[in-house]
Amino acid sequence: MMAESDRRVHPGATAVRQRPGRTRRFRRHLVLLGGAGLVASGLAACGTSGGSGPVQLTYYLYPDTSGVTNQAVANCSAQSHGKYTISYQQLPLSADGQRQQLVRRLAAHDNTIDIMGLDVTWEAEFAQAGWLLPWTGSNKQQAESDTLKPMLQTATWKGKLYAVPDNTNTQLLWYRSDLVTTPPATWTEMINDSIKLAKEGKPHLIEIQGAQYEGATVWFNTMLASAGGSVLTPDAAHVALGTPAIKALTIMKRLASSVAADPSLDVQEENDNRLAMEAGTAAFELNYPFVYPGMKSDNPQLFKYFKWAPYPAVVAGQPAHVTIGGIDIGVSSYSRYPRYAFQAALCLRDKANQLKGATVGGVPPTIISLYSDPKLFPDYPFHADILKELENASVRPKTPLYQVLSINISHLVSPPGSISPAATEKKMASQLNIALQSKGLIP
Amino acid sequence: MSIQSQTAVVSAAGQAPATHRRQLSEGARAERRLGWLLCAPAVIVMIAVTAYPIAYAVYLSLERYNLELPNAIKFVGLSNYAAVLSSPFWWHALIVTLIITVISVAFELVLGMLLALLMHRTIFGRNTVRTAALIPYGIVTVAAAYSWQFAWTPSTGYLSALFGNGAPLSHTGQAIGVIILAEVWKTTPFMALLLLAGLSLVPEDLQRAAKVDGATAWQRFTRITLPLMKPAILVALLFRTLDAFRIFDNIYILTQGGNNTGSVSILGYDNLFNALNLGIGSAISILIFICVAIIAVLFIKGFGTAAPGADSGRR
Amino acid sequence: MNKKFGWGAANTIAVVLTLIPLLWILSLSFKTPAAILDASFWPKQWTWSNYSGILQSSQFLRPLVNSIGIGLIATIIAVVLASMAAYAVARLAFPGKQVLIGMALLIAMFPAISLVTPMFSIERALGLFNTWPGLIIPYVAFGLPLGIYILSAFFREIPWELEKAAKMDGATPFQAFTKVIAPLAAPGMVTTAILVFLFCWNEFLFAISFTSTIGARTAPAALAFFSGSSQFTSPTGPIAAAAVVITIPIIIFVLFFQRRIVAGLTSGAVKG
Repeated sequence: MMAESDRRVHPGATAVRQRPGRTRRFRRHLVLLGGAGLVASGLAACGTSGGSGPVQLTYYLYPDTSGVTNQAVANCSAQSHGKYTISYQQLPLSADGQRQQLVRRLAAHDNTIDIMGLDVTWEAEFAQAGWLLPWTGSNKQQAESDTLKPMLQTATWKGKLYAVPDNTNTQLLWYRSDLVTTPPATWTEMINDSIKLAKEGKPHLIEIQGAQYEGATVWFNTMLASAGGSVLTPDAAHVALGTPAIKALTIMKRLASSVAADPSLDVQEENDNRLAMEAGTAAFELNYPFVYPGMKSDNPQLFKYFKWAPYPAVVAGQPAHVTIGGIDIGVSSYSRYPRYAFQAALCLRDKANQLKGATVGGVPPTIISLYSDPKLFPDYPFHADILKELENASVRPKTPLYQVLSINISHLVSPPGSISPAATEKKMASQLNIALQSKGLIP
Repeated sequence: MSIQSQTAVVSAAGQAPATHRRQLSEGARAERRLGWLLCAPAVIVMIAVTAYPIAYAVYLSLERYNLELPNAIKFVGLSNYAAVLSSPFWWHALIVTLIITVISVAFELVLGMLLALLMHRTIFGRNTVRTAALIPYGIVTVAAAYSWQFAWTPSTGYLSALFGNGAPLSHTGQAIGVIILAEVWKTTPFMALLLLAGLSLVPEDLQRAAKVDGATAWQRFTRITLPLMKPAILVALLFRTLDAFRIFDNIYILTQGGNNTGSVSILGYDNLFNALNLGIGSAISILIFICVAIIAVLFIKGFGTAAPGADSGRR
Repeated sequence: MNKKFGWGAANTIAVVLTLIPLLWILSLSFKTPAAILDASFWPKQWTWSNYSGILQSSQFLRPLVNSIGIGLIATIIAVVLASMAAYAVARLAFPGKQVLIGMALLIAMFPAISLVTPMFSIERALGLFNTWPGLIIPYVAFGLPLGIYILSAFFREIPWELEKAAKMDGATPFQAFTKVIAPLAAPGMVTTAILVFLFCWNEFLFAISFTSTIGARTAPAALAFFSGSSQFTSPTGPIAAAAVVITIPIIIFVLFFQRRIVAGLTSGAVKG
């Protein structure tokens, strides 16, 4: 998934984009359109437990309206044979809102949080603050076995594992096979194809997330990693950027200033891209798999030509390193029942629950062998491509100060038309440097 | 409008001049003790909630203190202030705040005056207007902000539909316009009530005499009404200005400070709860406090004796 | 005739302008999810489901209870403390009175955001974070200046001969206060209580800053944390319904007490 932060709500082009949540939700909601009424959560219940009976574990996660989490929680409670029951507390819809709420409670040493669903960009911060218990021994082994490596990387901080990957997400290239016979392999090819289509008067736009939010950071990170660079040095102490960053920015700028760019690129988020593609004005779309069922139900005509391919490369011949998203499950340092909390976390992300999450909820699993499970295929015709991309994925900068970095980055790369590659790189390096010293402001 | 501005209004109420009484020292001492005793709880609460935290904020603002880096807390002197004052985000937020403050207060004053004159002059329907005017005052700011947000949301809002399904909240300038609109709608009636109270101080006979002398309505307004209302206007202006400068609720709901529409209050909030930077957050808090103090001092200097509190407390 | 018509038209415009945003949110709250997307002012299809949804949800009901509880407690404390101080200000001679009045005025000008960072830290350390007292205490502090000013204005209006008479009959100053003056001061106290309660009910910044769950979160803050049933059914309807629920009683309340509120708000200004 894409941890998109909605610091900014923009009640933009469609009512749907109120506060676009994570992509996996889009998909899930397509599957389960119409679902429950508002706030289905019965919640409350701050998990104190008496001397006898099962202890109550509290699980904080984004609002999952597919029902998959509710079911997983019930299953795991039952499977504990009376050791614990899990109560599911819904966090706010936006990634930012979720983080703020968790952080405020953790900063206040709240012992009613046991298990947390963490966006892949929060682990370093939470671990460094001392809010997460490290995974050790057999718990760690179980967490790591058969699990996607880049996802484990997101959950690791200073050599220790602090969470267990639950679900993940990544972007593919979606294109119209009635317009292009072979999908472009590189960004340069894709922009050229688009310009050619424009000259022929055909739908030609390239749909990507250009609004000033986490999505823009994700785009930049993908381009940078695919160009062979990174935001920070491996020890996360210094800014890296450099020539690869200039290369990435050059392509982003080229797109923004060509006819390939959507006129509303500057305010587009994932869902706007989906709608534009469904409306038939675009030829290419860089987006998460939730767009697939969307196209299927909204525009069956176009769906016939709606195909996918690996994310285009920045350097010809070198596959792109697409930014990975998703949720890791962590155990709070202030939990009164850490032993059970670890068990429950492992159960919540076990094979059965992940398969449900994928087929019903629409979120790609983090257990590798599930990608060869035929039960996954009907909903995931692109399962092989996704897996290949995930194994090759890039991770956003791992630092406790990620939030500040990301906001700075998104403000520099969006609107993409305002990029001036060398100067933007220089400015970014200086701003990120300041941010790394806790001296940066966020707008 | 906040509770603070309400206080303002009331505080502007000159306190009825009372004669000084000399009392016997015995009674005076008992009276003094009782006075202190009665005031103590209020004073303690007010100090505990304002003076102490502000002192603590000054202390925090001198530290490098990130919530997510609990082991890296250290004294850094004024470097947080340097960081804030050298950040374009601070200056941008300050400019946005000032724009919102100046424009919305100006609109409120003009519209509030019109509304006050309307309430003052008409007999027919006067109560209806006054009652209606209390609605924006009574409505919860957040609820009203949502009303405006939805009204401007494309394909949901009637206002957006009216303006070609536009999305003003995703464009900086237009979004600031909507924020000002929401602010003006909410607080104009309050402004009007204050001005109405001032209007009622203007003697009718004076107006009538001027009318007999052939003064036009405009002349009567500028030569008689306005000068007599000056104290009421200035007090209302001061407190609305301070209120507007602190704007938070409307922006939080309408744009969350996105698209460069954040006020200084939003900036402070974000740096605390989003960046978890207590040091920078505190420095911003203190700077806002200083800004407010400067505004207040400027106004009070400008007012001279019309300043609230200048004559209060005497008995 | 023409003139009368002009005033009438102006009145009508004023009334309509004040009402439209309220009517709009009211209309939204009755719209079905499909109707919300038609951008018309009035609902084409009506539904109660937004209301039944929020009124069955602890995400809204609990904050509503918090709002009422926190508001009432803070109001009572503020009125009691303010009455005591206002009595002293209005009736007693003691050094430091100027300081008290100055302090109240300072707080009236205080930027609330400046308190958020330090109070967040302090409340965390004291275990007040995300509790009722964590909001009640700042609300009392910000309600006090208003209370002190309104009440001392009211107290000055009271015929103090009665107090003197009571004292002559052997009442202590304290008895004179509770038995004689307080009942006379009741209208002022009610006015103060109304205004302080409205402030607590309306307050947003502290409410989102010092709470993290529905355990202490008040209704306006809860509104900002509503999540829709899905990405494609945005929570517009439920938010509108909740906004109406927290607004309508207050508006009725305000209209019911309108003379008192207007008097409270402008008493000072009138007396100049």
